[in-house]
Amino acid sequence: MAKNSSARPLMSRIKDNLPIVVISIFSLILFVAIYIEGGNAQIFNTIITGGMWALLAVGLALVFGVMNIPHFAHGESFMIGAYVAYFTFTPMQEYLYTNPNKFLSAIAPLGAILTAGVAGAILGIIIEQLIFAPLRRRTKKDWIMNAFLLTVGISFVLSNGANLVLGPNFRGISRYWDVKAVEIGGAYMSVDRLIAFAISMVTIGALWFFLRRTRVGRAIRAVSQDETGAQLVGINLNFIQTLTFSLATAMASISGASLLFLFQAYPTVGGTPLYYAWYVVMMAGLGNVVGAIIGGFIVALLQTATQLFVAVSWTTVLPTVVMILVLLIAPSGIFGSEVKGVQEQ
Amino acid sequence: MLELKNINAGYDFLQVLWDVSFRVDEGELVALIGPNGAGKSTTLRTIAGLIKLKSGEILFNEKVINDKPTHLISQMGISYVSEKLNLFTGMSVRENLILGAYAIRDKEVQLETLAYIFELFPRLEERKDQLAGTMSGGERKMLAIARGMMSKPQLMLVDEPSLGLQPNLTQDVFSALIQLRERGVTVLLVEQNVNATLSFSDRAYVLEQGKIVMEGPSKEIKANKHVRNAYLGI
Amino acid sequence: MNSGKVAQEQSNSWNKFVEFINKLGFNPLGLALLIIIAVLPTTTPYFQQEYIVRWMIMGAFLAAQSIAFDFTSGYINIVNFGFAALLGVGAYASGIFANTTPFIAVAPGLNPWITIWLGAIVAGLVGFALGILTLRLRGIFAAVMAWFLGIALMGLVNNWTALTRGPLGMNPRKFLETTNNLPYFYIIFTMMIGIYITLKLVTRSHYGLAFKAIGQNLDAARASGINPIRYLVFNFTLSAFFAGFLGGFYAHYFGSLTPSTLMHTSKTVEILAIAYIGGRGSLWGGIAVAFPFVFLIELLRTNFSDLPGLHLVIYGVLMIVIMIYYPGGLAGFYDWIKSKVQRK
Repeated sequence: MAKNSSARPLMSRIKDNLPIVVISIFSLILFVAIYIEGGNAQIFNTIITGGMWALLAVGLALVFGVMNIPHFAHGESFMIGAYVAYFTFTPMQEYLYTNPNKFLSAIAPLGAILTAGVAGAILGIIIEQLIFAPLRRRTKKDWIMNAFLLTVGISFVLSNGANLVLGPNFRGISRYWDVKAVEIGGAYMSVDRLIAFAISMVTIGALWFFLRRTRVGRAIRAVSQDETGAQLVGINLNFIQTLTFSLATAMASISGASLLFLFQAYPTVGGTPLYYAWYVVMMAGLGNVVGAIIGGFIVALLQTATQLFVAVSWTTVLPTVVMILVLLIAPSGIFGSEVKGVQEQ
Repeated sequence: MLELKNINAGYDFLQVLWDVSFRVDEGELVALIGPNGAGKSTTLRTIAGLIKLKSGEILFNEKVINDKPTHLISQMGISYVSEKLNLFTGMSVRENLILGAYAIRDKEVQLETLAYIFELFPRLEERKDQLAGTMSGGERKMLAIARGMMSKPQLMLVDEPSLGLQPNLTQDVFSALIQLRERGVTVLLVEQNVNATLSFSDRAYVLEQGKIVMEGPSKEIKANKHVRNAYLGI
Repeated sequence: MNSGKVAQEQSNSWNKFVEFINKLGFNPLGLALLIIIAVLPTTTPYFQQEYIVRWMIMGAFLAAQSIAFDFTSGYINIVNFGFAALLGVGAYASGIFANTTPFIAVAPGLNPWITIWLGAIVAGLVGFALGILTLRLRGIFAAVMAWFLGIALMGLVNNWTALTRGPLGMNPRKFLETTNNLPYFYIIFTMMIGIYITLKLVTRSHYGLAFKAIGQNLDAARASGINPIRYLVFNFTLSAFFAGFLGGFYAHYFGSLTPSTLMHTSKTVEILAIAYIGGRGSLWGGIAVAFPFVFLIELLRTNFSDLPGLHLVIYGVLMIVIMIYYPGGLAGFYDWIKSKVQRK
């Protein structure tokens, strides 16, 4: 009897959180399998990839959580970031080639990435004010679907616009920092990768601090929980929404810029990052920022495992099957979505 | 302090308020009573800027406010406690209260107000780290009123505070409102519980089918035959 | 007296005719325009040129797709983001069933006129599966699920090289021996009309009402006794069936299939743009937009060949502007004019 009563809560707790339990076990198995097959190198690879997807997915989750926009042009923010970084970094690189300067060479890539972030923030403001603000003024009816279609249009315009202005050429760099790879636990990691990972973690950390500890950050969370309540306490909705969109765009741009050595800049480079970011967000739960961070790493595990055990070309097929299974068990994602609006559709 | 002049307002094609005019003076506790669907909540929502006017004028401290967005009206010193409460359910009690003082940038003033609120509502202090969404109905009402007070408003619009509450909790909420008046806050109250409301408010307006049909000191209204028949069941 | 009777009889039979075409989803103006489109390539010298006929074929092909697409998005309010992939499934299936060459593992060598139906059935089955999968998902989740499924299908086609030759592409045989485009125009034109009439009849029945009810509010629809499972799955299946059917036409007309030119998400976006500019939930809006669009786009492409993709940018901008300021699209504009005229 006593045994029964102590066992039941555990069982029912497991049952309540079935998706989380299943996905944790599944991730653990993948982790071990990847470690056995690929060793430290693949594990680091996974973690670094996970950081990138997390950074992108956090932006998506934020935009959906605060503004209820399913952002389909997030990949284009990534693309813009890559281009801006390319066009700011290559002239600096040429200058440094003729005028070597160790300090400047160390700092130049960061400058390029920061510039991309600023460009992304400005682009975010323009898009929000030019496209979403007018729609918001006209009607809030069917908002999620309309906003989604608008972002599809934006994505279409930006990627084809880039093709129109810059052509279909690939523009990339081989590396940002011309230094030897670092050895960690028997695996060699390029400095570019490590710094890209550090940037994604620092950006997520900064966002976290901003949302939790600052006045405006708290206001962003307030808007995501109750729009009317936020207005009633004196929060300027328009400002918060523009700021949120700008932040998300800037984060995607930073991500595109810091990965320029991996993803060369070309008009449709945003496709893959968009796919993975959406994948993470769908699996973790729309609008769930914490879920997006964890989800980023789970998806990276899945991706590495597919590449390692099946073939690179199957990376779009197998994860989709997993996703379908996840959504069948948990229609609103593993960590759930408490965002207003999702259930109201 | 607050003056509504010939307000016409409503939702899309449905007009709810017809030529509504009334005033609330400084330091008063004014009740707005009437049957369901008369437009009481709509009146408050209109003052708070959540509904746009079709015609008319709303003056607050002699300034026109009906062309201003909600957040500016809130920052001017009007605090609206809606019947849905509109709490930030995923945040702690403390965070909800701090957000109530969003317009006050001075951190020290914020904390002073917070201390004062906790003194007024000790139950909220006990639960300051609890998520707003996990609290009981009565506690949520308290929190919503407290959050409304955090901005140090000159005027509070309180919508149906007793809705869905047990009688003893209703009493708590009412005594909180009376305390508010004693501390010099002007209150415009919409309430279903007409009997109690008329016994502690200063003046009252009766709203029926979107029109003000009666006004006067609460005592007189309470003695009125029509009110006694329609609302007090006597 | 006598002539008056004749006139009355004439107007009577005219009314009967209007009533009849109305039942099929046409009005006299629309039907007249369609007949003009149909006879243009045989009568006018300009339209007799082969490349213009090809544009007309493209127009009818896009129009037919937008009808099938609107059947889902305009009625049950779920954007089928995997539409192009479903079309690709039909195209590949039909191409494989008709295959006679040794380049592909199987060579059933069936007649393309039969395989086009088989392709449609295969696509319909995939659509059926998609309908089942998206049952528990709402709005945006369903759209993203369809998108993922589309990407997965494209990945599958890319990888299943024994059947599809993957990115190398396959070359299905053509419907006809002729290099003349005109017969193909009439094939696709007939398909377009057939799809339009079929779907119009479905949406005019109680199914159409149920679709709209589900699209506006799933829970309310369920509460009023509509079984969403049946309608959602039926809608997806039928829409996918026609997508696959059109894919079969593509396969046996162009005679060349690659995953990225056929199944990519950007292809869905093109159809989405046409359907939305035409007006959601109208079915006919896409036809009215597709033909002028193809001409506009092709003229832009030939005259501004130094600006690649200009037409796509214009597409996107137009779509954004319509979405923000005029969500009814062309069909909404038409209804507005009609109501003005009738009021007068």
